[in-house]
Amino acid sequence: MLPSMENDQKPASSSPPEPRREEAIFDAVLALPPEQRPACLDQACGQDAQLRQRIELLLRSHDQAGEFLEPAPPAGQNRTVLVPTPPSEKPGDIIAHYKIREKLGEGGCGVVYVAEQTEPVRRRVALKVIKLGMDTRSVIARFEAERQALAMMDHPNIARVLDAGATETGRPYFVMELVRGIKITDYCDQNQLNTTQRLALFVQVCHAVQHAHQKGIIHRDIKPSNILVTLHDGVPVPKVIDFGIAKATEGRLTDLTVYTELRQFIGTPAYMSPEQAEMSGLDIDTRSDIYSLGVLLYELLTGRTPFDAQELIRSGLDEMRRTIREKEPQRPSTRLSTMLDAELTTVAKRQSAEPPKLVHFICGDLDWIVMKALEKDRTRRFESASGLALDVERFLKNEPIEARPPSGLYRFQKWVRRNKTAFAAAAAVVAALVLGLGLSLYLFVRERRAHRLEQEARHRAVAAERVQAKLRDQAEKGLVLERQMREMAPITEKFTIAGRLLSQGNMEEAEQVISDIPPTIPQGSILYNALGEVYGRRGEWPAAIRNFNRSVTADPTNHYAYHYLAPLLVQTGDLGAYRKLCERALSQFAETADPTAAERMAKDCLMLPPPADSLERLAKMADIAVAAGPTNPSWPYYMFVKGLAEYRQGHFAGALEWLRKVAAQEGVPARAAQADATLAMAEYQLGQTNAARETLAQGIKIAETELSKPGRIDWNDALIAQFLLREAQALITGTPAPAADGK
Amino acid sequence: MNDVTHLIKAVEHGDPKAAGQLLPLVYDELRKLAASKMANEAPGQTLQPTALVHEAWLRLAGGKDETWDNRAHFFGAAAEAMRRILIENARRKKALRHGAGQAPLDLQELEIAAPAPDDQMLAIDEALNRLAALDNEKAELVKLRYFAGMTIEEAARVLGISEATAKRWWVYARAWLYAEIRPGG
Repeated sequence: MLPSMENDQKPASSSPPEPRREEAIFDAVLALPPEQRPACLDQACGQDAQLRQRIELLLRSHDQAGEFLEPAPPAGQNRTVLVPTPPSEKPGDIIAHYKIREKLGEGGCGVVYVAEQTEPVRRRVALKVIKLGMDTRSVIARFEAERQALAMMDHPNIARVLDAGATETGRPYFVMELVRGIKITDYCDQNQLNTTQRLALFVQVCHAVQHAHQKGIIHRDIKPSNILVTLHDGVPVPKVIDFGIAKATEGRLTDLTVYTELRQFIGTPAYMSPEQAEMSGLDIDTRSDIYSLGVLLYELLTGRTPFDAQELIRSGLDEMRRTIREKEPQRPSTRLSTMLDAELTTVAKRQSAEPPKLVHFICGDLDWIVMKALEKDRTRRFESASGLALDVERFLKNEPIEARPPSGLYRFQKWVRRNKTAFAAAAAVVAALVLGLGLSLYLFVRERRAHRLEQEARHRAVAAERVQAKLRDQAEKGLVLERQMREMAPITEKFTIAGRLLSQGNMEEAEQVISDIPPTIPQGSILYNALGEVYGRRGEWPAAIRNFNRSVTADPTNHYAYHYLAPLLVQTGDLGAYRKLCERALSQFAETADPTAAERMAKDCLMLPPPADSLERLAKMADIAVAAGPTNPSWPYYMFVKGLAEYRQGHFAGALEWLRKVAAQEGVPARAAQADATLAMAEYQLGQTNAARETLAQGIKIAETELSKPGRIDWNDALIAQFLLREAQALITGTPAPAADGK
Repeated sequence: MNDVTHLIKAVEHGDPKAAGQLLPLVYDELRKLAASKMANEAPGQTLQPTALVHEAWLRLAGGKDETWDNRAHFFGAAAEAMRRILIENARRKKALRHGAGQAPLDLQELEIAAPAPDDQMLAIDEALNRLAALDNEKAELVKLRYFAGMTIEEAARVLGISEATAKRWWVYARAWLYAEIRPGG
């Protein structure tokens, strides 16, 4: 059964007499640049014409050998040296309702044709026939399982997958919207798009991927050849293709047979996330696509993938997986600056930039954004594709990005870049007046104040993103990740839209978008709170109340909304609703272990004299708060609520003691005014009338100078201060205080 | 542990007879594996030789951490076995074409994708035999790369040479073989 073990060796017909010498000269000459070779040959071969002829033959052979004997073709190149399986379809063939026309392209796992659909509508489509010997039935079954979700995708930057089936020869095929474009990296290079233009295209890709994620579809194979750029009226439009196909054909990657399709598997290792490289097959979620987007961004910026595809393949399967899972890639700017000069010049030229400027532009923020998307640990990546897009957009607008922890200096640099002219002017003033750091610091602080509102709206947007992440985490914990995600899909999408609207300061539309989210979805509370806070800051009390009411309904266990709602209800004179809210807060939080929840709920219920039967429980809550001790950063707040509780219980001496300690602290104005009001009442009750008047005047002064400013973030605490001051004034001067409008 | 792993262990312990027995066993293993795969594939599919070799190794090692030496012995034998299988296939097909015209191939026969057309395969093999007569180590390197799909690094380790050396040898051997079989060469 074994073939003859003897080699039928023939004498070496044309082999040279001195193979070793021949080899040595060949090696030496090959190492030289072509123009130096003849001289070296002259010297090495001397008069031995036969030897020289022989080496020249070898050199020629070397040049002509091409792919001769080379084992595995590197990824991304359609060499078919090893696998000459000609496509069995040809123009004119008919597959189901599709008539094949010309070939559009050939990829790692299939051939794509332009086809004409005859029914139900007449149109041109792209038809992709899968090349490899996959189990057609299960590929189609997996596709059918996805079909409904795929049909829900509707986005200008996504090419829809329309149909799937089996050809007569039993190979699976997919039918897609026809996109005539070129892959995004080629488009960028050919048109010498600069970095900003590249980023703008990239942001569109992120939005498309985000859309799919919201429909519960994970792409799993994002790479440049799956993102085609077409021109619409001269405007480049990226289209993501092949959604759903990776999933349908993926099954083979999970078992041992992966190795029989080694070449298919390693088709795109450069874009594969660490968790995909694990090949556990079960644990892929949307963040895997975020990683691949990170690789794409890396490539758009540097012209290279974080890990070289050919090197990955050459290193062998185990090493390749280790690299993807463990090795930190170089930052994009480092990668550029360590390139050879010629290479860097080429990369920069493709981006219409000078090498040093390109490196400088990418160094810093873009590095951070890319590296955050490429985190090995997916929990540290961007939580969503839109989060990644948002950060790129922030970079484009010279705003602080999320991808790195903000430091004062960092934000200051950002501000300087955003306001270059103003800063230059300010710098000149500073120099002229020799005021030193003082003025620029002053300008900086003023600038920050002005931008605070804007920044906070942005934080709301981030909060909305977190909601999504939370939803996803919950779905993950469930048994069927994608089904749950899909059930939540319409809601998560609303959250994202609302988040974006909020970040643009468009409150009304944001509220509109989320108004029909079922009120019982707990995650909604974060958005309602965001809306309520901003309305409150603007003094639009009814709108604020509406949103905080929704928040409490959505998530009664979150003390946050109560704390804003309570003063709002008092402010608008709805004392009945206020009392009910206090009862609800008591039943929910009377036994809480969280000192801040205890402090806030007690304060909310004690800001007006409470019903006698609730006093004891409220006093206990104040004790829970102070039990946290003086090392807690919220200690002054805890002391205040303890003092307030003592006062409401009629323990005036005890109140005096606690509240004086609060007054001795460097104060947040609202808290200082609250403390002064309560302290004044305690002093008055103890007969220290003069002291009481003085303390009260001090509190009123804070209220007039500080708390009356519009747009305070702690407007709820400012309201509480107003109520307490009113009560104190009525008590001490006997005159009812004018109703504070709180604005 | 199966016969092949036994033998690999024996080779490692310096048993000269084991080395001789390893090749036929690996050869059988590869054929069996290929046959079982063919039975499960849709008709018309072809198997990738290097993938087969890798899969055979995975089956033997059972996913456990086998030592590198084991791998080296196995791949050395597997490269030679795969070469024989491919050459045998090429010869058979050629004989069929010359003899019985369009006679259909026996479905039981293995459809392994040859890295090159039959004639070229046979020519490469003859050239490789000539190279082996002159410089056996370089021929071994070519077999490991061409028939077992090893990378330069892996092949260097099997042969116990440095990567740089392996690269130099590879360039030379490739040019040498190409010169042997080049059209009109």
